[in-house]
Amino acid sequence: MIRTELVERLRDVMVRSCPESVDWDEVDETRTIESLGIDSLAMLDLTYDLQQAFELEFEPEDLLGVKTVGDLLAFLAARVGS
Amino acid sequence: MTGRRRVVVTGLGVVSALGLDERALGRRLFAGEGGVRRIRAFDLAGYRCTSGAEVDDGELRAALADRGWRRVDRTLDMAMLASAQALEQAGLAARGAEHVPQAVGTLFGTGWGPTESLVANWQSYQEKGLKGLRPTTVPRCMMNAISSQVSMRFRLTGPNYVVVSACASSTVAIGMGYRMIRDGHAERVLCGGADAMFDPAVYGSWNNLGVLSRNENPERACRPFDAERDGFVLGEGAGALVLESLESAHSRGARARAEIRGYGESSDAEHVTRPSEQGQTRAMSAALADAGLEPSGLGFVNAHGTATQANDECECRSLRAVLGAEVERVPVVSSKPYFGHLIGGAGAVETIATILCLEAGRVHRSLNLDRPDELCDVHLVRERAVDLEMPTAMMNSFGFGGNNAVLVLRGGELA
Repeated sequence: MIRTELVERLRDVMVRSCPESVDWDEVDETRTIESLGIDSLAMLDLTYDLQQAFELEFEPEDLLGVKTVGDLLAFLAARVGS
Repeated sequence: MTGRRRVVVTGLGVVSALGLDERALGRRLFAGEGGVRRIRAFDLAGYRCTSGAEVDDGELRAALADRGWRRVDRTLDMAMLASAQALEQAGLAARGAEHVPQAVGTLFGTGWGPTESLVANWQSYQEKGLKGLRPTTVPRCMMNAISSQVSMRFRLTGPNYVVVSACASSTVAIGMGYRMIRDGHAERVLCGGADAMFDPAVYGSWNNLGVLSRNENPERACRPFDAERDGFVLGEGAGALVLESLESAHSRGARARAEIRGYGESSDAEHVTRPSEQGQTRAMSAALADAGLEPSGLGFVNAHGTATQANDECECRSLRAVLGAEVERVPVVSSKPYFGHLIGGAGAVETIATILCLEAGRVHRSLNLDRPDELCDVHLVRERAVDLEMPTAMMNSFGFGGNNAVLVLRGGELA
């Protein structure tokens, strides 16, 4: 999967876990997950949505080190073989 | 800690069919504008009961987005908004500011809990099997989801739990918060309640129980104490109140909007849906005794007043037993025709309505009380608001399962 496609698909998934007020045109890879309004409950939702959308199997704790959008992209890229 | 501490209310928050704050609630209560409509949330084909007091979905979504919050679950979302209003009014939170941990308890009541999540996850399991169950199923669906989510968002580090006692749930939550503060176990407690019933299966369960009004005219469907009443009308929403010791309110310069003077509770221990005069009477008498108030000192009663045949008759017999000769004088009203029966949220929102009456110095008018039932032989507020003789009130909540919970409140100058 090429990186731009990965970015677009990640954004489509993250929209479901974030408040409607997030301006996605302003979100870059340095943006922290927490600043997108993703609390501990939303993070579990995001985990499930990523598993379903990318057909991946991983545990919620595998995302404990993920702090930014860039971290999440790197995690997914490694799993989906970008 | 020795002696009883006085407990006051310093913040109110409400989400109901009358609007998304207490100003809307007060404005429409005193304008005599009810919020019961034909239900819009789902297809009503086959339902014999078609009226409800729904929270406007567009307004709710906009209010969440305005605060930068995502939708989680209708019950939780409404509880969160009411909590934000109450904490901000009390000066314990500021909109948009980061919340720092503070010693405030979180006690909420609910009858059914997070129904949207419960139904969605069950349906997903039926459709997809094990993979259909999100990892958030447990934290979303656990019965303490409301208090846990509220405590985390606002960093409230006091005790947090949910009280489940049907229609009395949030009155019990307020009563427990009151006792915690009165007896020195807590300084401040956020109390409230919430329920969301407008799901086809959840509402259908009530439809089939046979306690809802079948009146096809929504605006006329909820008629407490009226001879033509035929059941209650469900509502949805949330109420939240910040309770704190009078000393705490004074030290912070927080405005006390009312005082909780007493609380009483009892169990009928008889029948799951039929109310008991003995049970209700014991709870009311206990609340008045706790408040040190004789019936002669009571300004009005905000009744449970559901508009079922059984409740209204029984509640009036209980009121006659408790109030004695004063029953001819003390005005009795039900707020339910305005915003429906909120089940677990009922006590909190009706306590807020009671406080608004105490502040206004008058009791809002009744709706749909055209011809009082002869068996409801108490001093019913009719088509006009009634001026209060004294700023005190009793607020009744009686739940299926035989739970009775009664608060006594005082308004006016709270020195």
